[in-house]
Amino acid sequence: MFERGKKEDDTIESQGANRTESDKTFGSLRSKVAGRGGDAAVIGRSIQINGDLRGDEDLRIEGDVSGTVELKNSALTIGKEGKVKADVYAKSIAVDGETRGDLYATERVSVHVNARVQGNIIAPKVSIEEGAHFKGSIEMDPAAVEKALGKTTASDTNKPLAERKSVSTPDTGSVPKKTAKDAATNLSPPSGTA
Amino acid sequence: MTASLRRARPLLPPGSPAALHAPLFQNLMARLNAGGRHVVLDLGAASTAMLARLGRSRCYVEIADLAHFGGIDQLNTTETGPALADKAESLLPKRLSDEAIDLVFCWDLPNYLTLNALSALMHAIGRRAGPGALAHALVFYAERDMNERPGRFVPTADDELIDHGAPGAAIAAPRYSPEDLGNGMGHFEIDRARLLSNGMQEFLFRLGS
Repeated sequence: MFERGKKEDDTIESQGANRTESDKTFGSLRSKVAGRGGDAAVIGRSIQINGDLRGDEDLRIEGDVSGTVELKNSALTIGKEGKVKADVYAKSIAVDGETRGDLYATERVSVHVNARVQGNIIAPKVSIEEGAHFKGSIEMDPAAVEKALGKTTASDTNKPLAERKSVSTPDTGSVPKKTAKDAATNLSPPSGTA
Repeated sequence: MTASLRRARPLLPPGSPAALHAPLFQNLMARLNAGGRHVVLDLGAASTAMLARLGRSRCYVEIADLAHFGGIDQLNTTETGPALADKAESLLPKRLSDEAIDLVFCWDLPNYLTLNALSALMHAIGRRAGPGALAHALVFYAERDMNERPGRFVPTADDELIDHGAPGAAIAAPRYSPEDLGNGMGHFEIDRARLLSNGMQEFLFRLGS
């Protein structure tokens, strides 16, 4: 995937009936998208993609990508110029640029200095460097991570991406599940004054 | 000898800010170590040290980074009522889980919010938390001035706190009294308080039913 001269459907899979202008220009962009840098395919700074991106090799994004990114067996790097507004599924995800959306990685998510990430991170290993900006949640319970990733990589892999997005459910004021007893039991300080 | 070496604190580079002994914070960290799953909301910026510290427990961590993502300016408006409540809600992270929040780290952010804004924020947090949830905060008390920007507190290996915030101009601190905070922290009520060596007051609040 993302290699120069490959078949259209192998290069970028764009889903959904409502294609934007940028979707329509895929044909002319394809050769640029395919440019390789190092061991990873590169989406260059001038490229804008609106749709679903799937692949089976490492990818570096320096352009703008909206939709969904799925590289479930590969590494994704969002470069300093990269702006991704998408839920991302990959083996590992490294962010130097900007993302807005949930990041699912079966191995690791690394948020580097000056990166700007808004969304939830679900990965067995997460690192956020000092100077990075992050707003969202991180699941640090290994069992819960495994469960969340299992939902997205095992049972959902054959579902359309639109359905898979439902794994992430923005809070709308729903009633918290944990009971008062749970909350008080775990963190209550001893009685008495300081 | 071995024991003393183990307990030795790591040397800080010259010019590093001094570590702040905050006993209520240490107490909370010790309790996180005790086991169980915890849902933590951190209103400050993500830090490697804090995440590593929370990573020792089975935590689900939500990070709001209100200072960087414009939350302070957005909250300190003249708006009131539902409009301000909606704004406060929108500044909190979108959630993957609807588990109740156990613990909130406010750091020194309350000093940078009006009582009206603080109240809206804590009411929004309270709606995500269960009764008995705790909120930790550092409030300027003895000093009349504070940095124009909130601090960036990170824990040391001993669970003391170091402020890595960028230096800036001094502005007047609101020096909220316990009575002010009693009104400004939503349904969170003062549980314990300690005066720290740097003149800040360390508070632990508990969400009432």
